[in-house]
Amino acid sequence: MGIALGIDLGTTNSCAAVATPTGVEFILGQRAERVHPSVVAFPSSGGVVVGQDAKRFRLTEPQHVIHSAKRFIGQNIRAPLVQLALTGIRYKVTEGPNQQPIVVVRDRRMTMPEISSHVLLHLKRCGERQLGESVGDAVVTVPANFTDAQRQATKEAGRLAGLNVMRLINEPTAAALAYGFGRNQDQLICVFDFGGGTFDVSILRINGEIFEVLASDGDYFLGGDDLDRALAEVLAAECNRNLGFDPRQHPVLMMKLMMGAEAIKCHLSENDAAEGEIDGIDLPNGTTGSLPFALTRKQFEDLIAGYVNRTIEVTKQVLMQAKLQPKDISDILCVGGSTRIPTVRQRLADTFRREPNIKINPDEVVAQGAAIQAGSLSGSIIAGTGMGTRDAVMTEAHSPLFFGGAAPPKGPLARPVLLDVNPSTLSIQTAGGFSERILDKNSPIPIERTRVFTTARDNQTRVEIACCRGESRRFAENEPLGALLLEGLQPKARGDLQVEVCFRVDADGILHVKAADAASGAQQEARMQVFGAPTGEGGA
Amino acid sequence: MSSSRAEVLLWAQRVIARKAGPAHALLELRENCTPEQAQEAFHKIARTAHPDLHRSNGLTPEEIEMVTSAYAVVAGAYMTLRSQTAQTTRMKALSKDEPVPSAPSRPTPVPGPSGRTPPAGVPTAPAESTGILTGEGQAANPTQNMSQKALNYFRKAESALKRGDLKSGLLQIKLAIAADPSSTFLRNAMAEVDAELRKGS
Repeated sequence: MGIALGIDLGTTNSCAAVATPTGVEFILGQRAERVHPSVVAFPSSGGVVVGQDAKRFRLTEPQHVIHSAKRFIGQNIRAPLVQLALTGIRYKVTEGPNQQPIVVVRDRRMTMPEISSHVLLHLKRCGERQLGESVGDAVVTVPANFTDAQRQATKEAGRLAGLNVMRLINEPTAAALAYGFGRNQDQLICVFDFGGGTFDVSILRINGEIFEVLASDGDYFLGGDDLDRALAEVLAAECNRNLGFDPRQHPVLMMKLMMGAEAIKCHLSENDAAEGEIDGIDLPNGTTGSLPFALTRKQFEDLIAGYVNRTIEVTKQVLMQAKLQPKDISDILCVGGSTRIPTVRQRLADTFRREPNIKINPDEVVAQGAAIQAGSLSGSIIAGTGMGTRDAVMTEAHSPLFFGGAAPPKGPLARPVLLDVNPSTLSIQTAGGFSERILDKNSPIPIERTRVFTTARDNQTRVEIACCRGESRRFAENEPLGALLLEGLQPKARGDLQVEVCFRVDADGILHVKAADAASGAQQEARMQVFGAPTGEGGA
Repeated sequence: MSSSRAEVLLWAQRVIARKAGPAHALLELRENCTPEQAQEAFHKIARTAHPDLHRSNGLTPEEIEMVTSAYAVVAGAYMTLRSQTAQTTRMKALSKDEPVPSAPSRPTPVPGPSGRTPPAGVPTAPAESTGILTGEGQAANPTQNMSQKALNYFRKAESALKRGDLKSGLLQIKLAIAADPSSTFLRNAMAEVDAELRKGS
């Protein structure tokens, strides 16, 4: 049996780690970097380049460099938010079967899971080189509010990379696991995960080895990418005014502005003002110009205020869902690169009247939690010996498990139990266009619940069970998930036929629906086939 | 910590045998338990029987599958209890000023008791329609199972809510609940309007 990796597959960066007796060992890249950019390049010179090396091609051939694939994985290309995100990328995406986005590089057509599988394969190979053993299993993290289709597509990416995905776990839960594992305390924490492309908040109760998610919510289309794009738009307008031409039509130039915007954003997290020039702007008259800029932190904060307000609003909602007050929370974990922005931390501190915990590394903590879960699931974390069975060699890759001077555990470590939740209400359509809830938001997973429904008209022989996710009582206002057809029913008066509808959400957060007619024994079972999900045997 | 292989298998068999029974029995609780008791009981089960704890415990894949589905069923029962107890608490809070019948303790809401003719005016799909959203084939509308009296009150509530008069809408819903205390649909509607009112004030 090979080693089980914990992998944080991020929008901008990915990170992988493995549990060892004294802590967690990170998988390093060729330059000993712990964090691997989730970038895949198909350069003209041939081959596939992943990670830090792929980033170099962004300026020379941006149309062959695929980044932020996580924003499109398992998505319907026709969704308005996807269309908006497509304006921010410079590679080509077209519509494929089942309305899924397809990346086109020269004459190659690739699905989003294929792109992500290159990142996973890269991590797998780095891991095998570093550990000297084969890597077979993995725990991969996903944003807590990822949909069924996005989860299925992520699993598919793992399969394509030759990994057995033992479990998909939610990123905030993984962060909480890394933070609370072995502490043996009873406390309520809030995980604020603001990454490159997605945003999640979870409230957890850590009670010894039990990690129970009380409530979770977020936005899978809100992240650092959006902040960069907002800033790049400002720079583009500036360029239009100063140099007299609009760069928005030029992919290379817009990419340059996006990269400039990212650098300015990071600079402003440390400094009060950013001033400089973006060089090498090719003007239409053949000359090369440069774009001067000057931005204060206050100006940047005003620019992104809308996005930050949204994150704080969601945080307050989640607190309400957990029926808690800000003062009940004993620690706030900042996860994801975007939490480095001072105004985000300030707004969090204002909301909770307490400084957020910034001792943890926002880029690495999720992979660390995934590694602990991988070690636990593969049985390599053995109670009483500390952590995994792999020999610990203190290297650069090594990170102690306990943050902020927390005391090392006394006595044997128990296996952690994650009680995660499903992020949205799952319902079926009933007559009159209503939706009838089967599984509520924030129910623990895995979960199974059966409800009995009757037919709406006399002598009905078939029933269509249309499923949706969302909070509205009107079916049409929710997000459709797919439908199941139950046929061959005995003709009976309306209300006499009893149809059992069973929803089961497995530990990966994937929904399975079953419908049965008790009288005739007719039964239908399906995993929802969703728009944007991988088709064919890959989806099964 | 986690229980032995034999213990967990015995537990799973017991749960699956009682699957159709009332929710509180699956968590080995009494009928009128508090939310705290339900949570405590569920945590106790999670500590000993969570399928992740038994992955390397010598169980066959089929046995793991059985433990997983037993655990999933218990999680479903826990959710049923949690929503019921939350509703009971809300009803108690409301009934301080107005008399409202206490929530009945039905294990699982079963929309559509068989045999009852639906009252006139119930929204159902037109007979000739086809397609995904209408079609011959939807499960029944929750309002269909209400008694005629409750439905009358509910219609009044609907028109009051359409006018934007939340207060009298809430009153009408409460009257409807008094006429048909078994309708989960009505109680959910009341909770919604109540939340809306609180938001406004």
